[in-house]
Amino acid sequence: MSHKKYWKGIEELEQTPEHQQAVANEFQQDLPVLGLSDKLLDATTPRRDFLKFLGFSTVAATLAASCEMPVRKAIPYAIRPDAELLTPSVPNYYASTFSDNGDSCAVIVKTRDGRPIMIEPNTLSTVTQGGISARVIAATLSLYDTARLRGPYVNQQPVSTWDKVDAPITQALANAGGAVYLVTGTINSPTTKEIINRFLAKYPGSKHIQYDAVSYSGMLLANEMSYGKRALPTYHFDKVQTVFSIGADFLCTWLAPVEFSAGFSKTRKILGKDAKNATMSKHYQVEGMMTLSGANADERATCKPSEYGKVASALYAAITGGSVNTGSKNVDKLIVAAAADLKKGNGLVVCNSNDVNVQVVVNAINSAIGANGTTIDWSATSNYKQGIDSEMVTFVNALDAGQVGAVLIHGVNPVYDYFDGEKFKKALAKAKVSISFNDRLDETTQACNYAVPDNHWLESWGDAEPRTGYYSFMQPTIAPLFKTRAFQDSLLKWTGADLATDNYHNFYNQYWVAKLGGQSNFDKALQDGVAEPASPTMSGASFSGNVADAMTKASAVKGGAYEVVVYETMAIGSGGAWSNNPWLQETPDPITKATWDNYVMMAPLTAKTQFDAELSGINEVVRERRVVKVTANGKTVSLPIVVVPGMHKDVIAVAVGYGRHEKVGRASTNGQNAFPLVGFNGQTFGYASEAKIEKTADLYPVAITQTHLSSENRPHVREYTLEEFKKDPRGLINERKEELKHFTHLEWEGHEADDPNADFDEEGFVKNGTMYPVHEKPGIKWGMSIDLNTCTGCAACVVACQAENNVSVVGKHEVMKSQEMSWIRIDRYFSGNPDDGDSIQAIFQPVMCQHCDNAPCENVCPVSATNHSSEGLNQMAYNRCIGTKYCANNCPYKVRRFNWFDFNGADAFADNQYEDGQRDDINDSLTRMVLNPDVTVRSRGVMEKCSFCVQRLQDAKLVAKKEGHPLKDGQAKTACQVACASNCITFGNVNDKESEIYKVRYEDNKERVFYMLEQLHILPNVNYLSKIRNAKEVLAGNGDKNNTRDEMANQHI
Amino acid sequence: MHLKYESFVREPLVNGNKTYAQVTEDICRPIEQKPTRLWYMGFFFSLLLLGFGAFSVTWEVYWGIGTWGINRTVGWGWDITNFVWWVGIGHAGTLISAILLLFRQGWRTGVNRAAEAMTIFAVMCAGQFPIFHMGRVWNAFFVLPLPNSRGALWPNFSSALLWDVFAISTYFTVSLLFWYSGLVPDFATIRDRAKTKLRKHLYGIASFGWTGTAKNWQRFEALSLVLAGLSTPLVLSVHTIVSFDFATSVIPGWHATIFPPYFVAGAVFSGFAMVNTLLVLVRKIFRLEDYITIGHIEAMNKVIVLTGSIVGVAYITELFMAWYSQVVYEQQAFKWRVLGPYWWSYWAMMTCNVISPQFFWFKKLRRNIVFTFLLSIVVNIGMWFERFVIIVTSLYRDYLPSSWTYYSPTWTEMGFYIGTFGLFFTCFFLFAKYFPVVAIAEIKFVLKTSGDNYKREMLPLEEKSVEEFVHIVEHAH
Repeated sequence: MSHKKYWKGIEELEQTPEHQQAVANEFQQDLPVLGLSDKLLDATTPRRDFLKFLGFSTVAATLAASCEMPVRKAIPYAIRPDAELLTPSVPNYYASTFSDNGDSCAVIVKTRDGRPIMIEPNTLSTVTQGGISARVIAATLSLYDTARLRGPYVNQQPVSTWDKVDAPITQALANAGGAVYLVTGTINSPTTKEIINRFLAKYPGSKHIQYDAVSYSGMLLANEMSYGKRALPTYHFDKVQTVFSIGADFLCTWLAPVEFSAGFSKTRKILGKDAKNATMSKHYQVEGMMTLSGANADERATCKPSEYGKVASALYAAITGGSVNTGSKNVDKLIVAAAADLKKGNGLVVCNSNDVNVQVVVNAINSAIGANGTTIDWSATSNYKQGIDSEMVTFVNALDAGQVGAVLIHGVNPVYDYFDGEKFKKALAKAKVSISFNDRLDETTQACNYAVPDNHWLESWGDAEPRTGYYSFMQPTIAPLFKTRAFQDSLLKWTGADLATDNYHNFYNQYWVAKLGGQSNFDKALQDGVAEPASPTMSGASFSGNVADAMTKASAVKGGAYEVVVYETMAIGSGGAWSNNPWLQETPDPITKATWDNYVMMAPLTAKTQFDAELSGINEVVRERRVVKVTANGKTVSLPIVVVPGMHKDVIAVAVGYGRHEKVGRASTNGQNAFPLVGFNGQTFGYASEAKIEKTADLYPVAITQTHLSSENRPHVREYTLEEFKKDPRGLINERKEELKHFTHLEWEGHEADDPNADFDEEGFVKNGTMYPVHEKPGIKWGMSIDLNTCTGCAACVVACQAENNVSVVGKHEVMKSQEMSWIRIDRYFSGNPDDGDSIQAIFQPVMCQHCDNAPCENVCPVSATNHSSEGLNQMAYNRCIGTKYCANNCPYKVRRFNWFDFNGADAFADNQYEDGQRDDINDSLTRMVLNPDVTVRSRGVMEKCSFCVQRLQDAKLVAKKEGHPLKDGQAKTACQVACASNCITFGNVNDKESEIYKVRYEDNKERVFYMLEQLHILPNVNYLSKIRNAKEVLAGNGDKNNTRDEMANQHI
Repeated sequence: MHLKYESFVREPLVNGNKTYAQVTEDICRPIEQKPTRLWYMGFFFSLLLLGFGAFSVTWEVYWGIGTWGINRTVGWGWDITNFVWWVGIGHAGTLISAILLLFRQGWRTGVNRAAEAMTIFAVMCAGQFPIFHMGRVWNAFFVLPLPNSRGALWPNFSSALLWDVFAISTYFTVSLLFWYSGLVPDFATIRDRAKTKLRKHLYGIASFGWTGTAKNWQRFEALSLVLAGLSTPLVLSVHTIVSFDFATSVIPGWHATIFPPYFVAGAVFSGFAMVNTLLVLVRKIFRLEDYITIGHIEAMNKVIVLTGSIVGVAYITELFMAWYSQVVYEQQAFKWRVLGPYWWSYWAMMTCNVISPQFFWFKKLRRNIVFTFLLSIVVNIGMWFERFVIIVTSLYRDYLPSSWTYYSPTWTEMGFYIGTFGLFFTCFFLFAKYFPVVAIAEIKFVLKTSGDNYKREMLPLEEKSVEEFVHIVEHAH
């Protein structure tokens, strides 16, 4: 080691005294305070204290001024749960089965940290074929409903132990003298049926009554008369060529809409590349009100519901060569055309009438056109609805006569949904003991002595047999949140079983292990969620009914001047827990786009001439609607009119499920109960009756999201008849080329449009339609395609989006101010003559953020809070957003949604959630369990919008990365895409030429591709496929402003 | 003889037998006296309005923008309408002080002080709206290009809203400087006349030690010229940039190249109307009729009829272009603007802005104080409707009919607007009490050329023949 010495200057080398002093002095230069420095250090508050004072006062000021932040409970897993079962923040998926009084749907439940947060369809089920409905998806919110009972009740008072209910109930049942009645909805669970039998056996003489609030008794009895089977067959809508529906809304509410829409959509797919030979099913609809199926029908005509028998008879006549005369030329024309089509094979006729005779005629028609065995399968019957109305009526009479010892009510709510609920309520008081298993203090439970709440299906073991031989399994995805007990366990307990060993779960295991032949088979079935016959067979049945008699009786039904149809909505159904589900309450009705209320649907002409409720171009100004008093079957309800084109002029319609008791939940109280308007003809309930309508002076505001009804002949929706499309499949391409030719190429580059076979030059348009440089888009480029042909407007995607993305519910008051928040909406446009219900056509167009590559929202944001990802996503940085709302103004699609209030409690202010009563219950610590932890909960004052479910895309990319391969097509799916029963949403990487989205857009269906508002050169990443109607003509203008066919557009309604 | 001759075609800018002393006396009087009852009533009423505005804004900030009537389709309502309206009003002051200074329009001296004050207060009012229309107002500073710890995170320089931030803040700063620098000699005058210690002290601070030396005046003049030069482009740029908020969008009814000139003309139009409203009151209340003469009012009214006609042409051009474009969205947007559910706002705008100013072609009406006052209010109502029409009726029925909706304001929005009136008048009352409402020094500049009595002294010159006059001029000392 050398001893070299380095020095910085001569002073250091010589170590002069000056230098030594300088080194010793820390501050070699004088302090800037110069002469003050001495004083400063000696001051009473010297420099260092100054910092202390500064620090103290800053902290003090901060503490004094800061708002008190609400404390959020987040309890970490101190001890890691079973690693195989649960890794925090990694979702688990369980196959289960949605079950609601016979409705069932095989689902996959996504749980995060032990909480079910999302329900998706189980694609293994051949019954639902990967379909799901809005209500099924919304079930997670019902699980976390604050109105649910948190334990057993005796006489409306909570009790602490099960003994306090079990002991007196067992006693009471023993003393009931055999007159024990178990009233349930349709039970299609094999094991539950076993348990019920065991219970009935324990109490000899007891009876099980299956009661359906909206019943299919008429069909069951007609099938017994026609085929000797009191059952409903399986309808194969996926096999139909021609479907003729008389009032049946099979795409929305009738019997098993999920199964039917999934199946039916398969017959509605059109491929542009095979345009010349394109075929699709033909859908005729004759109905009184405007249903979703009617809105989707190719040909539609209206009649009164009392004439359904006449229509069915006329159709039978037309098919068997008789003459057709229903009194309506349009209906007659339709019947003649339909008869010809139906005879070609694979026809199907369905009808929603609950009149046995009408259904016998329908059976006769189906038999005559050979539907049995082709589109109707009798080898495996549908078990969705089994209630026989007269049994219920007989029971209520017995109850009223005081002949009933004990009543056990499960799932149904007769005080509310029985046609004579008042009578039921009075009669129920005469029973010695009444027990309800319902999950809340609903109208019936309030009238019962005991409430023994059942578990939610997401907390339960169970099974369903929606179709004979097709099993679907339910497994709990969360431990019961409250002190509730499985309905089956309660029954077992009251048969004297010791629940420690003899419980439903054990029974269930034993039953299925035995039935499926071993534990491993059962485990597999449980994992798959379904067990189905390996090779399904199909068989018909021979019709043996008396069609002549049925036709005479069906045609003889007397109608009224006005008739009221009592119907279920897509969202709320017949009521139940759904009435208090804010997601469903706020989902706009597919037809009326109304939320939070029921109302009287009425034809424009009638409303205008009789009830002072005009449908006009300034609808959006007036939220107040005229209230009318509707009287039917001796009962009256007062409800506002919502004018709907396509209604028969003498028919009005009122939805059930609204006007609930406040204990059902705060969101459920709007509107009126329409069940009292239901009639009973001695055999079956009648959901359409003669009605008297009186105008009142009252007005009532209805929250409607889309108030303008026509598309104004604008070209953002495209529809063509099948004939037009076959004749000129390239019409749309040529139109786009013509419209945009000046932007697809530069003048000096020659004219690509010269080549008639060239496709639309999308690349040229992107490049030459702007003066700015174009960004390359390598890697992934997300794109979505929406097929308007198969979209039925059912709104399952709307609820799925809401569940997946924590989209806020805003409440009726805010919807009335057009402040709703849904990220995806379904635009519905009517065309035709509003005064002629038969002429109305409708089209549905789901609209979400179009993720424009040249997004007008992006460049106007002053803080770049919304910007573009390299994968083509238009993304939101919520933390950066200051809420100027300029982006929303500048969005031509109006898809951006602003957080008007603190909808999620994500705000710095503690108690500023706007109180209108309807949203309060969605914000407490229970309901917040439904939130998806992968998606930011937005605070007040920021903009939000569809993100293409970016959390799912990121997750899929990570999975692909971990698996070590590029992202596969179909690996990333958006929530709306998964929820779509008719499979009309295609999503994927457009840069991947093997992807489905690429094929749809550029190969298979390029003839039908269009982009909304393409001419703005905002380059949306969502394309639509034109709607092809199997109809004689299309009324909407497709952009032709001189179109005269669409009277709605001409009147600017 | 010192000759300052001005043609008799021009009417005097100061009436009565005014001397320099008299001018000082007249203008300082309100400042040195106790305020009148009327002033107190007006001031406290303004404070009341301001208080209500503050309450409304607090309510909105606490609960959320949802307390307003704006919605998913109409994202801007009264907020931005009021913003543009106030900014427009804020145009007159700078126009008068800067452009008219450069054009050597002597008549501006009587009105510029009040007009500039009005500008500053109007811009203050305008600024409230873009700030409090933000969903997260506490993050409003995100729009500033501040160094930050978030990486290279800048605001979006291609957003017209950001341009607004710069345009408005620059405009406010320059206007304030311009106004204040003009006030300095006048503050010194008040300081010198002050009889109480406090007044002397405060005006002493405010007048920055002005001594009235030649050097002071030279610098003062130089500064005025520089600031006038700076503000001149601002007069045009501010409302041009405000118009870009709309013109750079894709919304039919907004996306129009005509917007910048149309907005500037409209701004001058409304600004002059507001100046008229205020001056008619001020000259009456403070008895300043000699300084703010009918001639001033008439000059203002001439500008009003000119700019009113310009906006009229712009309205009609918009309609023509919509038709001529043959674009269905444009055509429909204007159709719904004129005939849709908001027809009343369009026709209110047309009546107030295009038809009513045409009365000012009549000299008698131009010089009628009551008529001028009423019409100035009508014009400002009309200009408010113009902004409402542009903003709301373009948005409410745009591309997709599914999203068409309606918008009505709620009490919080209205309260906010009322509150800005409170702010404006509170400031204006304070200004009128504590500041010289007419520029004393500047009046003195023109007194000897355009003062009534001095002009009368020139009368004998008018009698002279041309040769005699030339002789006098050549031998004038």
